[in-house]
Amino acid sequence: MTINKLAKAYGFLWALRDLNLDLPSGAFVALLGPNGAGKTTLLKLLAGMIAPTTGSILVDGATMAASNPAARRQIGFLAPSDHLYENLTVWENLRFFTSLYERNDRATSIESALAAVGLAQRRDEFVANLSSGLKCRVSIAKWQLLQPGLLLLDEPYGVLDGNGVDLLEGFLRSHCQQGHIVIMASHHVSRALNLCNRAMILHQGKLTFDEAKQQPWPTFAQAFGEFLPHGESWLS
Amino acid sequence: MTQSKKRKGILGGLALVAVAIGLYWSLAVAPPDAYQGEVQRIMYLHLPSILTAYLSYFLVFIGSGMYLWKREKRDDLLAHAAAELGVLFTALTIIEGSIWGKPTWGVWWTWDARLTLTAILLLIYAGYLMLRSLIDDENRAASAAAILGIIGFLDIPLIHMSVYWWRTLHQPPSILRPDKVPWENVHPAMLTALTISFVGFLLLYFYLLSLRYRVGEMRQEIKALRLERGA
Amino acid sequence: MALLKQTYLLLCKDLLLELRRRDSLLTMFFFGTLLLFVFHFSFDLAPDKIAEMAPALLWLAFLFTGTLGLAQLFQAERENHCLDALLLSPLDRGALFLAKTSFNLILMLLVELVVMPLFWILFNLSAWNLLPQLFLVTLLGTIGFCVLGTIMSALTLRARARELLLPLVLFPLMIPVILATIRCMESVLRHGEFGEAVSWLKLLVGFDVIFITVGVLIFDWVLES
Repeated sequence: MTINKLAKAYGFLWALRDLNLDLPSGAFVALLGPNGAGKTTLLKLLAGMIAPTTGSILVDGATMAASNPAARRQIGFLAPSDHLYENLTVWENLRFFTSLYERNDRATSIESALAAVGLAQRRDEFVANLSSGLKCRVSIAKWQLLQPGLLLLDEPYGVLDGNGVDLLEGFLRSHCQQGHIVIMASHHVSRALNLCNRAMILHQGKLTFDEAKQQPWPTFAQAFGEFLPHGESWLS
Repeated sequence: MTQSKKRKGILGGLALVAVAIGLYWSLAVAPPDAYQGEVQRIMYLHLPSILTAYLSYFLVFIGSGMYLWKREKRDDLLAHAAAELGVLFTALTIIEGSIWGKPTWGVWWTWDARLTLTAILLLIYAGYLMLRSLIDDENRAASAAAILGIIGFLDIPLIHMSVYWWRTLHQPPSILRPDKVPWENVHPAMLTALTISFVGFLLLYFYLLSLRYRVGEMRQEIKALRLERGA
Repeated sequence: MALLKQTYLLLCKDLLLELRRRDSLLTMFFFGTLLLFVFHFSFDLAPDKIAEMAPALLWLAFLFTGTLGLAQLFQAERENHCLDALLLSPLDRGALFLAKTSFNLILMLLVELVVMPLFWILFNLSAWNLLPQLFLVTLLGTIGFCVLGTIMSALTLRARARELLLPLVLFPLMIPVILATIRCMESVLRHGEFGEAVSWLKLLVGFDVIFITVGVLIFDWVLES
């Protein structure tokens, strides 16, 4: 994925400025930064939910633009217990989204995806009747089926319990190993750093740090230390 | 004084002068109408008012279109300012029309085609302003208003057609419509008065537009300053 | 065509949801019938006068009933941020517009199919043979209403006082449709055929075509933030 000179302005305010990025396949990026830095804006731009003021995003060579909805087939946004229709069953939800993305909508694929997250018995239950942990599993099954080349997450740890966290992290790791890109914005720095193989820091709309992970990582500690008022030891 | 303030000052001054001359010409120099007498003089305000309102709505359309295309805040500011002024001038037109209508026809209001259309225009753009004020997110409000601005403008010819068909198919044309301009047999002084009034109104309109636009700009600047201060 | 396929997919999903709960359909149906009763009590008129007023009363009933449906239109998408899910998918926004318009159209047509004969019965009107022509006019008018209504419903999605704002911005723009349908219906009832009202029909068709096209092209911008 390549990003060229991306910028987004709201009125006279620039939420994101002069962003240039080049991500290889298999990258797992931890997107960090203080509140209001522009992480959510960047993720929404990548997801195609808002249009950039200037600049372009290329995924596998295809430009993401409003006139090119097909390019969005490669993009996924994992919101753990969101983006599911409450009054449709688990099965119907998966069927709907796989048809929409034109991917893996055969009954056998959906069945095996459900089995992989342990929900084969609950395929005909309404999503409204599921706990948020189970909804998270449905989301994982959904994105497992849709196989996006670029998977985005915005603060996923908020609604998850211990089980959910393990499931999610397992899925993300295997997704990355298949050569896809994952970008996760999170305030849980330790967990994010654990999973990732690259870190980016956004500050006031600008990308101030972008490096592949190293052990130890003094440059990261320095860059990140600028935001942390009290020095913490989070790198094991 | 900065450049633009000076220019605005000149514009305002010119507007004042033009309106003053226009008033003098309409009230003192032009002769009273052969049929309606002195009351007819309100036409010198009424006609320029509605024409200015039409201009305003056209600017809303242009501003809305440009905003959707380029997403530059200044187009949105223009559309907003023009909509407010459009509503103002339309309301003025209707009030002036009422004042003209009472002594001429005996009624404050009648549902003839042109009056109805003017009222509908007022409703559409009042709705535009309401839409803006009821959406909290400023950028969403700007986009939504721009769409409404375009759709409203596209609908106006259809509304115009339908109201005119309705009124002409089912009712005889009204006797004396105060906004009908008789170009033949018109005293040259009346035409001059009308023209001067119109020029005066145009200048006044652009002066007010520039002021209102500036207010919008300043609001944006304050927002930016506040955010910078807070960050 | 991808556009039509996606429209069909979304429409089926909405119809399935509606079949399950029948929230919108039932409320619209009962509201339409309720309005008929209210009209009966409000307009205490002789039978021939009722025939004159029938088109206007019917259309008023449909307008208000339709507005109810419009307010509910994006309800399924508001839960769990499903609208975001749709926006991020490879969905053509025009397909979403067509699907929602068709959905509201189907609901309104179902209600009209029942309310129109009911109106005839309750108000003791004759001329049953004219119902098909009247229904054609109603169909064209309802299409116009659903098209503009869907756009406005999406525009006001995140506004405060949404239920009040929606009719406020929609109704003035609907005036050509209101005038055209009522005049057409009047002509049919008076002369038994369209006659000179054909020009109104053409206006209706023109309105529908223009705003369906505008809607498909413009819906990208309607939903974007």
